[in-house]
Amino acid sequence: MNHNNFICGPGPMGYQSKVRVVDKYKVIGFISSGTYGRVYKAVGRQGQPGEFAIKKFKPDKEGEQSYVGISQSAIREMALCSELSHPNVIRLVETILEDKCIFMVFEYAEHDLLQIIHHHTQQPRHPIPPSTIKSIMFQLLNGCQYLHTNWVLHRDLKPANIMVTSAGEIKIGDLGLARLFWKPLHALFSGDKVVVTIWYRAPELLLGSKHYTPATDMWAVGCIFAELLSLRPIFKGEEAKMDNKKTVPFQRNQMQKIVDIMGLPTKDRWPLLPSMPDYTQLVTLQPPLGGQHHGHHYNHHRQALNTGHLEKWYYNTINQVSAGSGAAPPLASLGKEGYELLAGLLVYNPEKRLTAEQALQHPFFSTGPDKVSANCFEGLKTEYPHRRVSQDDNDIRTGSLPGTKRSGLPDDSLRPGKRLKE
Amino acid sequence: MAANYWASTQHKYWRFTQEQLAAMRQSLEDEDPTPVQAYPLPQQRHLNIFFNQQINRLAKRLSIRQQCLATAQMYIKRFYLKVEIRRTNPYLVMATAVYLACKMEESPQHIRMIVSEARQLWGHELQQLDTSKLGECEFFLISEMNSHLIIHQPYRTLTSLPSEIALSPEESSLAWSVINDHYMTDLPLIHPPHIIALTAILLAIVLRPSPAGSGGNNQAAGVATAASMLVQAQQSQARRRTSGTLTPGGSQGSSEQYPSDSPAEKKPSDPRMSKVVRFAAFLADSTFDIEAMIDTTQEILTFYECHEQFNAKLTQDQISRYVKARSLDK
Ligand SMILES: Nc1ncnc2c1ncn2[C@@H]1O[C@H](COP(=O)(O)OP(=O)(O)O)[C@@H](O)[C@H]1O
Ligand SMILES: [Mg+2]
Repeated sequence: MNHNNFICGPGPMGYQSKVRVVDKYKVIGFISSGTYGRVYKAVGRQGQPGEFAIKKFKPDKEGEQSYVGISQSAIREMALCSELSHPNVIRLVETILEDKCIFMVFEYAEHDLLQIIHHHTQQPRHPIPPSTIKSIMFQLLNGCQYLHTNWVLHRDLKPANIMVTSAGEIKIGDLGLARLFWKPLHALFSGDKVVVTIWYRAPELLLGSKHYTPATDMWAVGCIFAELLSLRPIFKGEEAKMDNKKTVPFQRNQMQKIVDIMGLPTKDRWPLLPSMPDYTQLVTLQPPLGGQHHGHHYNHHRQALNTGHLEKWYYNTINQVSAGSGAAPPLASLGKEGYELLAGLLVYNPEKRLTAEQALQHPFFSTGPDKVSANCFEGLKTEYPHRRVSQDDNDIRTGSLPGTKRSGLPDDSLRPGKRLKE
Repeated sequence: MAANYWASTQHKYWRFTQEQLAAMRQSLEDEDPTPVQAYPLPQQRHLNIFFNQQINRLAKRLSIRQQCLATAQMYIKRFYLKVEIRRTNPYLVMATAVYLACKMEESPQHIRMIVSEARQLWGHELQQLDTSKLGECEFFLISEMNSHLIIHQPYRTLTSLPSEIALSPEESSLAWSVINDHYMTDLPLIHPPHIIALTAILLAIVLRPSPAGSGGNNQAAGVATAASMLVQAQQSQARRRTSGTLTPGGSQGSSEQYPSDSPAEKKPSDPRMSKVVRFAAFLADSTFDIEAMIDTTQEILTFYECHEQFNAKLTQDQISRYVKARSLDK
């Protein structure tokens, strides 16, 4: 056992954490398991107020008796989270390195957008109230603006990674793929085999661009907005698997889903389009069918086929009436400003897409009957169900393998595609 | 905040005065005085030169970029403010710092590559190195640094200068190498990166090797120019502050009187001098901490002088002695 004379210190072991997780926190349940490790709910043992979510990163192999080097993703998340401080970005309380594991202690968030959306799909399916949507979008954009002005790209924005506290504050979480973009060293894509869950992946990435920009995050924000309106992912493609050569395949199905609603991208509106590495793949896609998708019979001619159906998608969505009620459609108050914001975010040309800052200035947030509140639950009569916390793995010190999925936890079951290990 | 230096952990937690640094190092030594007495080590600057040379050797073998080395040196500095060097095997700390810095700077190296290269390079003290030891040391390093891993470096300032003081490629590479060198001093623990960058620029302008024929012995004059120019700019800043003017007139004044006051007595037609003048005006008009630049200039000069007394063999032997005696190589 004498493999660690690294330090001539008092203890017999080499590295010893000065703080022990179990001395400082009491784990009260297990929340989730992902690719990198597990997330637990905890409270402080030393009088720390509030509740905590402890994200535990484990070495890749179970029962690993030696150190193997910390994954780049964990390093990024630790490093970035300790620099960031904003009401709409999840707060890192501390990081404890103990027993070959890394424990990142975050403030606890009772909900996340995935759960909230899921809740509204339960029978009877009912839309998220417009005031809630406005508040969520405003806070989400606010967090994005903060990240982007601080040169941080999130790169994995999706409902499961957007936390919501019981006070109705939005907290952008999971910075495991986030990167600083003032480092022009590598194209911001290389090194990560998969960036952004495919449904939220921007068209420039789907077309093979290696350049990740703030606009790429903004596409994801547009997708999230659409999902808040319709309660399902707007572009729900099927992921083409990586082939043996480890090259990233063209995600035809995903791109087709976008084209179905947005029309084909054109050189006119996106001058750099022909220089995209997978530009030639575009001819293999079907132009959207003229309206038949949605049961309408506008008799558009060929040129119209390229203009897309986002507007129709939007008005169909917000004008839906709740089943069995004679009341006015609940989302109708979002009006044309809602469409304009959505269309501004889901712009093919990344240079023309709204920035977070521009989106925050959008009339969507200053017009209409609903004031933007800092509490997205303001005025709601019902409370959302609390985060499911299971009791079958309360031992944060041992815990089972990362990646051992528990069934029944919505977060795992709904996510398409997993990140690959780096 | 990650990109805003003033809100960064580097600014909040990793900046000290010279006195604070001395006190922290003293208290580390006082915690366990016996080995400190038994195993004398060279002065801090010489240790830094040693670390710099050694990690450069490792970097060459793995084609690691300069920014990674800068970050690695910052990690080493921070670590040794918390842990007395005689408790550690510096070769292990160096290898680990490089490994971690490469990850942080987004050009990761495989841990096995670092281990095998480090063993070849430093086999005398690292024969038993394996991934597990390196990984353990990584925990130690991160923990002592409180997970503050993002390092703000001065290099970026070089490429974001206003056009009137834009550097020639030659000056730029000289400034770049001054920045490389400052990592062998305590300066990055004392001053913000843009102060280092501005000083490096100034030194590059005044020290730039003259065009053919004018000889190489103008270094001292150049430095004197730099120093007096900083004092001037500082005075002009102070005047502007008291008179409350922010008009360009203030800087005009200083740029006009500057050349005649300069001990170097350069003619304004000298293209170098005109750049110095423009830079002086730029500083006078700014709110940069010129005191800090003066301090930085001095420390860099002291460092260059002290560099000449650096004895690599002695440093290596002194490190070896305690590493072997305390079995830190096992
Ligand atoms: N601060 C938190 N409070 C409550 N639950 C959290 C918190 N952070 C993460 N979770 C839960 O754990 C899940 C996984 O965490 P995340 O940070 O997204 O890691 P992963 O890399 O595994 O996706 C989240 O989707 C969420 O359900
Ligand atoms: Mg996640």
